[in-house]
Amino acid sequence: MRKDNLNYSVMPLSESFSWALSCPVSLYVHIPFCVQKCPYCAFYSVVPKTGDIESYLNLLDNELKMWTSLTGGKIHAQTLYIGGGTPTVLSSKHWEQLILTLERYVNFLPLLEASVEANPGTLSLGHIKLWRSWRITRASLGVQSLDDAELSWLKRPHGAYEAADAIAALVASGLDTSVDLMFGFPGQTIRSWHRTIKDCLKFGIRHLSIYELTLEENTPWGENPPEGLTEGYPLYRFAQWYLPKRGFIQYEIASFSLPRHWCRHNIAYWQGGNFLGIGPSAWGYLNGYRYGNASDIKLYADSISRGEFPIVYEEILPNEKAAAESAMLALRTMWGVSARAFRRKWGWQAYKKFLQVWHLLPEDCKKTIQGKHAFSAKGFRVANSLWEQFL
Amino acid sequence: MNNIRNFCIIAHVDHGKSTLADRLLEHTNTIESRKMRQQFLDTMDLERERGITIKLVPVRMKYKAKDGNEYVLNLIDTPGHVDFSYEVSRSLAACEGALLVVDAAQGVEAQTLANAYLAVEQGLEIIPVINKIDLPGARPEEVLRQIEEVIGLDSSQAILASAKEGIGIIEVLEAIVNRIPPPSGDPNAKLQALIFDSVYDNYRGVISYVRLVNGRIKKGQLILFMATEREYEVEEVGFFTPSMSAANELKAGEVGYVIANVKAIWEARAGDTITDAISPADKPLPGYKRIKPVVFCGLFPIDRDDFPHLREAIEKLQLNDSSLVFEPETSEALGFGFRCGFLGLLHMDITVERLRREFEIDLVATAPNVAYEIVLSDGSVIEAHKPSDFPDPGKIEEIREPYIRLTIFLPADYVGKAMKLCQDRRGEYVSLDYITTERVRLVYDLPLAEFIVDFHDRLKSLTRGYASIDYEHVGYRKSDLVKVDVLIHGEPVDAFSFICHKDDAYKRALSVIKKLKELIPRQLFEVAIQASIGSRVIARENVKPLRKNVIAKCYGGDVTRKRKLLEKQKEGKEKMKMIGKVQVPQEAFLAFLKADEEG
Repeated sequence: MRKDNLNYSVMPLSESFSWALSCPVSLYVHIPFCVQKCPYCAFYSVVPKTGDIESYLNLLDNELKMWTSLTGGKIHAQTLYIGGGTPTVLSSKHWEQLILTLERYVNFLPLLEASVEANPGTLSLGHIKLWRSWRITRASLGVQSLDDAELSWLKRPHGAYEAADAIAALVASGLDTSVDLMFGFPGQTIRSWHRTIKDCLKFGIRHLSIYELTLEENTPWGENPPEGLTEGYPLYRFAQWYLPKRGFIQYEIASFSLPRHWCRHNIAYWQGGNFLGIGPSAWGYLNGYRYGNASDIKLYADSISRGEFPIVYEEILPNEKAAAESAMLALRTMWGVSARAFRRKWGWQAYKKFLQVWHLLPEDCKKTIQGKHAFSAKGFRVANSLWEQFL
Repeated sequence: MNNIRNFCIIAHVDHGKSTLADRLLEHTNTIESRKMRQQFLDTMDLERERGITIKLVPVRMKYKAKDGNEYVLNLIDTPGHVDFSYEVSRSLAACEGALLVVDAAQGVEAQTLANAYLAVEQGLEIIPVINKIDLPGARPEEVLRQIEEVIGLDSSQAILASAKEGIGIIEVLEAIVNRIPPPSGDPNAKLQALIFDSVYDNYRGVISYVRLVNGRIKKGQLILFMATEREYEVEEVGFFTPSMSAANELKAGEVGYVIANVKAIWEARAGDTITDAISPADKPLPGYKRIKPVVFCGLFPIDRDDFPHLREAIEKLQLNDSSLVFEPETSEALGFGFRCGFLGLLHMDITVERLRREFEIDLVATAPNVAYEIVLSDGSVIEAHKPSDFPDPGKIEEIREPYIRLTIFLPADYVGKAMKLCQDRRGEYVSLDYITTERVRLVYDLPLAEFIVDFHDRLKSLTRGYASIDYEHVGYRKSDLVKVDVLIHGEPVDAFSFICHKDDAYKRALSVIKKLKELIPRQLFEVAIQASIGSRVIARENVKPLRKNVIAKCYGGDVTRKRKLLEKQKEGKEKMKMIGKVQVPQEAFLAFLKADEEG
């Protein structure tokens, strides 16, 4: 299924695309720049040199143009997520250029959820002002920890104070603010973890994403793992105990929020919604067709300038596999797998297969309420092992 | 008949038997020296490599002696290992004399003695040959004394030789002519031919190596195999020179081969007597035994697709090796394979090696075990080859296990260590003799099950390789054995159960379940691993429930990343076997099959 180049004019799926793209989709825009590479991060990004950002924004413009020329009209976005990399590496001027591009090709639906990722250290009041004046409704801040020692161990380019300032500024601006926290690194204790979460909540955030430090291939730490990683399980379990007491609901395996403040863009990923990803290393999913863009800005630029999509990976899973995958994704959320919807989409056979596996799972890892099959809190803790059964 | 001499060479491994045989062939011009390969008689690569003879290849030599007469010397080579002692005894039965080769540096070893006794038992004339006298470490006087004192042979007529250097070869040939009696027997009596070996040839069927005791045999004759009661028509008879050359007939006293269109090797077993089908002999020659395998192990192809090849290969080996028995077996860890029975450990090793080399099959051999005899409460006796053959403990009256009488020759310094090892392996002391002030002969009765695990390796390392051993099977003895079951999460798992002595049960049970605890990954629930005798649990370990889970970021909507990770994770577990609700990895089965003595 790998292709280095794929000429959109002969793409056999263009028919199905144009239909998918005439309906509302979620739109992901990747900003592949950071002021430095964090040693654990596997997202694609580079440190920009002068002029890089401008030319990249032009390429994005071209990529979006190619997509709209498939449909003959603007893309209808119901959610927008600008992630990275570090979108706050872009200056206000760059942002204006990006906004112009988006407005040119995208028709933003009412009730739009528009998120942007931000990092303490590069976030400025100028950014916040601009976002507020445009369509941005939500900001997700990469805090990771509010402990200086922990931040320096993670080699983050900011300290605890800067992070705290950034949270305060975002909340004060009225943006729905989410904070990313990380757990499972050396020296982290349940006390420091508690302090970090508690301090974040104090600022009035409404959404929290927690991730275990993962050693990914092709990252510095993936190649040379640091020593003394803390077992993440108790920290995760503590968050599951503590956050609900503060009114947060675990609506997804890594996400907690006040009721109805969930991230709709991310939910679209888990619930099989169509989404268009643009920029290097971005992924898209349109009516069963999944693609991945080249994770290399040079390759990406070459394709775009030739008028070709920068897609290097594509797949259409056969029904049985697609059904199993959709169940696994849905089980990341508290809404789980709806028996009716699943049967309608994938058929009786697939549902029967799902149930066969479901019945094998330990009772305390799952719950079925009103025709919806979902993981329990314990189920979330051991989800990897449970998902495996569905493969 | 007066100018025929039938003889064999008996020796401990490495004492130079094959080299001596080569020199004899050279001196008698049986083989031109330029065609001479080192150790001509060991035809299999494996034999040459291990320096042991597995298959017997008889050779007919013509020798013009100093008395001016020409003699026919038939050399019947013998296997040099106790696993094949039945074949040795059959070969000896085909001879009138034996060369007893002893290494001038190493002296009398365990097998020297065992084989010398066998030869004495068969009434053979024994000619001691002290070999390797050219070696710097040679102590011929000392060895001569050992031959006299330890074996009890007259050493005054021993020949000092170096087969490698060609020293003493003529003396050996003259001794064969002068000291070994010519065969007795009547060419005009009813046919009695002793089969001392049979081999299978792809084109000609079974070729039986025979020693004619009485009568004659020729092409076209109808013959009867007396033990298996099969009749055949002779297609060809002949001699080994050393390649096969057809002859008109074989008559009493001679050694040669018979081809009679026999299709399966078990129909022409070593030890059986061939007679004339029309006027048969009154009774067969004595000594025929159906040999029973004593050591068993499972053989499994590493690549499961190789199973049919393995079956074919074992069947082919069996054509040539009537003592090899096998039946299909399935293992939870290893899939389809065979449970094979062998005469001993060496026989097992060699069979496995041959399957690997000659048939190029990668295979796993499980740890060997022995066959037990179980007397049931109703008085009947059953044979159990594996733990799952054991009936309910309530129905067992008595369990018997095979014993061996183990003879160890070793330097006196190591006696303490060797005795300790024997005691640890439930050995029963029999005797201890000082052969010289430095060398000791130690005899123990030992359960075969304790011997086959790694006794020889342990002994070698305890004695820095100075010990040599020999053993004979001394039958079954009552033993306080128990079957220990291993339960995982309440489910008994046949593959992990084992038989051991009651006193060792706890220790071994503990080491087994500790090992399993390491190998069984954490599951979603706590898993109990128990060892029990009947319904009594004697040891228990718990595998703590799983806690590890990684919640990683979803990279720009890349759900394939997670899927790939899970698939990888699953692949690792695919090889696991579900036992009840518990996933048990293959390594657990493998570790157990291979070495249950460690830890």
